[in-house]
Amino acid sequence: MAAGAIERLIRTCTIGDEWFAERAADAPSAARIDGREVDFADAVEASAAILCEARLPLVFGLGQTDCESQRAAVALAEAVGAVIDPAGPGDEGAAGAVAQDIGLSTATLGELRDRAELVVAWRADPVVSHPRLLPRLRLDRAGRAGGRRLVVVDGGRTATAEEADEFIEVPPELDFEALWAVRALVRDVPLDGDLAARLPLDALEQLAGRLRACGYGAVVHRTAGYANRLALHALVRDLARVAHVVALPLRQEGNARGAEDVLAWQTGYPSAVSFARGHPRARAGEFSAAGMLERGEPDAALVIGFDALRHLPPPAADHLRRIPTIVVDPRPTETAAAARVAFATAAGGVRREGTVHRMDGVPVALKAPLPGERVGDEEVLAAIAARIPSGEGS
Amino acid sequence: MLRIAHGRVFDPANGVDGEVRDVCVDDGKVVEELPSHAPRIDASGMVVMPGGVDIHSHIAGPAVNAARKLTPEEHRADVLDRTAITRSGTGGTVPSTFATGYRYALLGYTTVVDAATPPLAARHTLAELRDTPIVDKAFLVLMGNNLPLFELIRGGGPVTEAVAWWLEATGGYGVKLVNPGGVEMWKHGNRNVTSLDDEVEGLGVTPRRVLEAIATSVDELGLPHPVHVHCNNLGVAGNWRTTLETLDTLQGRRAHLAHLQFHAYGGTPGKRPRSKAPELAEHLDAHPEHSADIGQVMFGPATTTTADAPVTALLREVTGGKWVNADLEAETGCGIVPFAYRERNYVHALQWGIGLELLLLSRDPWRVVLSTDHPNGASFLSYPRLIRLLMDREFRNEQIGRVNRKAIGRTVLKDDLEREYTLGEIAVITRAGPARLLGLGDKGQLGVGADADVTVYVEHEDREQMFSRPRYVIKGGRVIVEDGELREAPAGDLLRVAAFHDEAIGRTLQPLFEEHYSVQLANYPVREQWLLEPTRRIPARRNGSRG
Repeated sequence: MAAGAIERLIRTCTIGDEWFAERAADAPSAARIDGREVDFADAVEASAAILCEARLPLVFGLGQTDCESQRAAVALAEAVGAVIDPAGPGDEGAAGAVAQDIGLSTATLGELRDRAELVVAWRADPVVSHPRLLPRLRLDRAGRAGGRRLVVVDGGRTATAEEADEFIEVPPELDFEALWAVRALVRDVPLDGDLAARLPLDALEQLAGRLRACGYGAVVHRTAGYANRLALHALVRDLARVAHVVALPLRQEGNARGAEDVLAWQTGYPSAVSFARGHPRARAGEFSAAGMLERGEPDAALVIGFDALRHLPPPAADHLRRIPTIVVDPRPTETAAAARVAFATAAGGVRREGTVHRMDGVPVALKAPLPGERVGDEEVLAAIAARIPSGEGS
Repeated sequence: MLRIAHGRVFDPANGVDGEVRDVCVDDGKVVEELPSHAPRIDASGMVVMPGGVDIHSHIAGPAVNAARKLTPEEHRADVLDRTAITRSGTGGTVPSTFATGYRYALLGYTTVVDAATPPLAARHTLAELRDTPIVDKAFLVLMGNNLPLFELIRGGGPVTEAVAWWLEATGGYGVKLVNPGGVEMWKHGNRNVTSLDDEVEGLGVTPRRVLEAIATSVDELGLPHPVHVHCNNLGVAGNWRTTLETLDTLQGRRAHLAHLQFHAYGGTPGKRPRSKAPELAEHLDAHPEHSADIGQVMFGPATTTTADAPVTALLREVTGGKWVNADLEAETGCGIVPFAYRERNYVHALQWGIGLELLLLSRDPWRVVLSTDHPNGASFLSYPRLIRLLMDREFRNEQIGRVNRKAIGRTVLKDDLEREYTLGEIAVITRAGPARLLGLGDKGQLGVGADADVTVYVEHEDREQMFSRPRYVIKGGRVIVEDGELREAPAGDLLRVAAFHDEAIGRTLQPLFEEHYSVQLANYPVREQWLLEPTRRIPARRNGSRG
């Protein structure tokens, strides 16, 4: 820090540098309606009106804000009878759904670093997506010197595969089949011949053998879709009978795990919840933000810390453009520019303290190296909630 | 101010056993007298007790939240609507945070201790407790499988300072040991320890050394609550010997045993368990420095939620259903299995019977207190039924007649135990006793200066009905519940211990943190005021007179 600004970042990766740059830049005006700067109170009032008038408001984003703001977002969603989806981009929500259905065996990052002899990166490319992960887990080549093994299973030779001891090529469309085959191999169940012929069976058999024999094994993954995740969790569960094996999904957003956790403690469910009937209801798939938007269901939206227009499938983005939208985000995003009401907030970890849950669930405190006058997401959400007549939505 | 007039008061800590008198409260405390014009509740014909105190429950933190995520079916079947004064939520055996606070209050409980928080996850527990309204709450910090502490124990290091540091760093209230050494061994190829003298592989400590060292430190610090021990070998036939050995090891030091029922089995490992409740009840009676809560099993759904991960791996094989394992670096593990206890099942019926035996055979209700180890043995919502089992011999015998006959044949319950708990004794095992064991002097009693946490029940022959629905619940002097309905839902306090440590411990811990954690020592302690307030500090009496 120098002269009230960040002079140099230490121990960040390229993704981290970008993250700080986006949030430490001079922010746009704190509150806008249709692009025009307005008083904060007016923007709050307008937001409350939009949410109260809506028949089915949608609250989503959440994975890039702190737990305190997520907590306020759930409270606001409840007050207006909204649907709230913590899933963020992609199909991160599937993690929660599978965990609900069969459970999982998992561990914190320190355990992976200190105990895992064998780490399988299943359709995960942390060298690109989480550049500091391998060195911090001592899984880069130097760190593995003691005989630890890194195996990559993916559709092509990724950057992580280049770092690995072994690369097993499995096309993405055979993800489920490959996981199911390893599962069968682990359990000594005969494999279907046609299926086996489409898979690199020798390599998978060797992998199954290594997993069975390891003292502590870990699978870090970014499997896509419910069925593939289910297969992966089922495999780890089977392995748990013969070895100590854990799995950890690598998350895209910094506090995706926190969003899931906060929603779960307040409602009982880790994935999208509807408060339309005055109490939490969750149905896998039914309340996903992207799905609802594609079906044209919500008539207003509150987007928190998420550039939705850039990440949603086109039909969902089209509907989002058509409905009154409130955006709460420290960054000047495309979604904020298109919003009816936009709040530019103080970013957690830069201008505001808060808590986030790492992707392994460990809660960590964010510091505020550049504190300022501007309020955070939590204060904006609480201010809107304070303007909602009580009992609304019940 | 408020006068609770003409009730039959049960305040065992002050020797009051059903006398008709007034309880006056003002400014959150019990006071001697109030002016005659003070507002009053007419409690004529009603029973007045201090607010309930739960000494061992699991209501917040990463393990409980993982259990919530695992039980959507239960949540669907049990919903709480948003009202003008309450948040919405879901119930089941692992309710959402708001529902947990409301339902404890509706049951007449005003203080709840979460019995197992991994210190690394204290922020998570604190955030959930902040969203658990009405009740005052505290949490116990898991220290039985902590690698830095193991190193200090092995090397004769400053364990006591480290224990105090951990309590201060987390906002915790007391110290919990769960299967000391065994959870660490679980991370070594799914193994466990089976005796107090098994070495924890490569770490140079045994369960016995951990027990001795930590219990000694807790006594040296003069913490208000003794070391709270979940013994090794939970659920294993023949484990009563481990339990006795644990108590022998801790002789001369204060100790509280968690969910004793799960540790009171005779027989041989792998075979059908028997009851050793009479032996353990007798042993506890003879050792005033030791206490226990029951961990009563009640028939119906439960969710096994424990730091004792190896136990849930066994249960997973029993149920074939959902299972969570979560290894937490340097500190602990976590296992979760949704479970159901069935009347006709031999083991389940025996567990149910052993819990009742322990309660009915115990001669000192101050030291053998009520718990279901919520949500492990049953939900806290089953306390009223358990109270009826203790107070109503006829009801009890009728229930005994419904369960697995062979199992009951292994217990003394078959002899038709005559004992019926009195209201005064119920007040001891649900309030006064737990408060005293926790060292919460302002709780569990209605003497002048005590917290104005009061529960008023309408007398009813059916004790389950009576205790299910208090007529009034007063928390901090405010009427929170009236006729089974919440009137307001204020936040409760965090109760944390004030145990001071030598700052030099930081230099000892620094290299241990670098070795074992993925977070830095400097970032570990919780300093965020919004997570810690409102707080009440309960002082430890270091090097005090307890000796």
